[in-house]
Amino acid sequence: MSSTWRENSANTLGVRLATWYAFLFLGSSLAIVVLTYVLLASSLAQRDHDLIRSTLVAYAGQFQQGGLSALDRAIRNDQAAARHERLFVRVSSGGEEVIFYNLPGEWSEFDLSRLDRPGSQSGLWWVDVQRRGTSEVLEVASTYLADGTLLQVGKSNEIRSELLARFRTILAIAIGLVVLIGAIGGTLLTRSTMQPLRQLAGVVQTILQTGRFEARVPARGSRDPLDQLGTLFNAMLDRIAALVAGMRGSLDNVAHDLRTPMTRLRAIAERALESGTEDPQRYRDALADCLEESERVSEMLNTLMDISEAETGVMRLSSEPVDVGEIFRDVHELYADVAEDKGVEVRVDAPDGQVVLADRNRLRQVLANLLDNAVKYTPAGGHVTLRAHEADGEVALEVADDGPGIAAEDLPRIWERLYRGDRSRSEHGLGLGLSLVRAIVGAHKGRIEVRSTPDHGATFTIHLATARQP
Amino acid sequence: MRLLVVEDDPTIASFLTKGLQEAGYAVDAADNGNRGLELALTQPYAAAVLDLMLPGRDGLSVLEELRRRRVAIPVLILSARRSVDDRVRGLQAGGDDYLTKPFAFSELLARLQAIIRRSQGVTEPTRLVSGDITMDLMTRQVERAGRPLDLRPREFALLDYLVRNAGRVVSKTMIMEHVWNYNFDPRTNVVDVLVFRLREKVDRDFDVKRIRTVRGIGYVLDVA
Repeated sequence: MSSTWRENSANTLGVRLATWYAFLFLGSSLAIVVLTYVLLASSLAQRDHDLIRSTLVAYAGQFQQGGLSALDRAIRNDQAAARHERLFVRVSSGGEEVIFYNLPGEWSEFDLSRLDRPGSQSGLWWVDVQRRGTSEVLEVASTYLADGTLLQVGKSNEIRSELLARFRTILAIAIGLVVLIGAIGGTLLTRSTMQPLRQLAGVVQTILQTGRFEARVPARGSRDPLDQLGTLFNAMLDRIAALVAGMRGSLDNVAHDLRTPMTRLRAIAERALESGTEDPQRYRDALADCLEESERVSEMLNTLMDISEAETGVMRLSSEPVDVGEIFRDVHELYADVAEDKGVEVRVDAPDGQVVLADRNRLRQVLANLLDNAVKYTPAGGHVTLRAHEADGEVALEVADDGPGIAAEDLPRIWERLYRGDRSRSEHGLGLGLSLVRAIVGAHKGRIEVRSTPDHGATFTIHLATARQP
Repeated sequence: MRLLVVEDDPTIASFLTKGLQEAGYAVDAADNGNRGLELALTQPYAAAVLDLMLPGRDGLSVLEELRRRRVAIPVLILSARRSVDDRVRGLQAGGDDYLTKPFAFSELLARLQAIIRRSQGVTEPTRLVSGDITMDLMTRQVERAGRPLDLRPREFALLDYLVRNAGRVVSKTMIMEHVWNYNFDPRTNVVDVLVFRLREKVDRDFDVKRIRTVRGIGYVLDVA
């Protein structure tokens, strides 16, 4: 069903596009052709009229100077010189009597009687005489001379008509070609325009039918909008696929990670029940253990959710300009007592006015996690420094300690969930802190890196975009 | 005082009802949104505990309807969802506080009592007294049995919070929120360290130890 829908809709759109294109193409070509023809015909007619008129004026001059003989000479000269095709010339006296005729035999079929009724016109007037049985027309210009003689000069439009008829044939062929080119061009154009849409529909179809997100629209990498649509569509599919994979992955992880604490929870309750003791204090302890364990489960669940939200990019961040020195002092204050108890000195070294764009709460969480680790692993007498410096539009936030550092073999793995190096096994913790730190920094489009030399401490550096306050 | 509990899970509902009754409240329970709304509109309650996921009318809609009808009953929202967005939405709809499942009953009780106090317009005292401990909030002087205690600001804030909740267990999360204003759990022992320090000053020289650890839940200032 969906297949026919796709074909039909694509075809309908295609046919519509092609039809519109052809109509537009044909219409404008026709308009140009008709205009050309009209202009040509009228300019040819104009040329004939000009010739007739100038000849009439010339012959009138000849006749008045030298009479009929001069006129006859002029006509012969013209014909001998073949200056133009043969003209019709007639001279009549005032009493309607024709005194001179230059009428080639083949023109005898014209109904010349219409020329005999000159009426009372003055100046120059035109009469069209039709050849019997044809559409050929003799265009005659007439004028009275000063002595009352009627001089008439005319010309057949036969040659002009033939010319125009030939021209019409040529135009008809041209129009035919235009229609053909329009139809072919329209079809090709439509097909190439519809191609990306067809491919897009095909990909959607494949995904709908198979439920797999691997299909992609072939992209040509050009700048045309339909190709960009395909590229954007691919990008959207990539993002959906990443989200789905992320969700699936975090579900697996959560299930896996919760198994251990759930097993412990179960074991505590089972042991207490099976001990068969009458001592209420033992039950009390077991219940308290259960509570603590369930607290850990909740914590772990929350952290895992945070990590997967941050990693899949669905974590909501309310970004605002955050003063680095301020947030350093804030986190330092949180750990002041803990560090003091442990004999670790925490120093803050951040110049004023360094501002990053971040979610204040999340950044605090990140720094608290790093500082927590630093204080935890630095022995008494050690130092932890919170340092910030700005370079290339970034602020680098450092948490540096001079503790035992991180073993080289642990270094690449510290970001993994639940990974705990040998040294950290003895410390309380979920093993999720650094994964969360990296995920949150990633959600801020920042970077985090770690440098460590065993026995010379470790330095975690977060790079965040600077946000200069206006 | 009468309280309303709107919760569809029977185990949680009975856990809440019994706990609140033991704390001295009269409790009505509703297991769906429509019933909850009806009760809240017709009975005078001091406060309500409202679950968000309810059959019939959901919690947010109950809350919005109550506020639309200008019923000013303080509401503590309970939810299994824990994202900041849900919290914000709940508070915007007119909730007075928000607690995610799973929760500690002591925390629920403390939060409930706090919103009841707030709604009754209790004026901020200038002096807090609990047994032999007195705190002057203006001069920030603290005495136990007439002997002055020299507390640092965080220690003062913690004792203030414990005294206000004397006899009730407060969780580490609640302490984080009230003393440091952190609404996430930094998973550290900062609370334990602070409590340890406060205890050194409040209890070390006295036979009666006031600050007690309740394993798995939190801390309590025992009423002498």
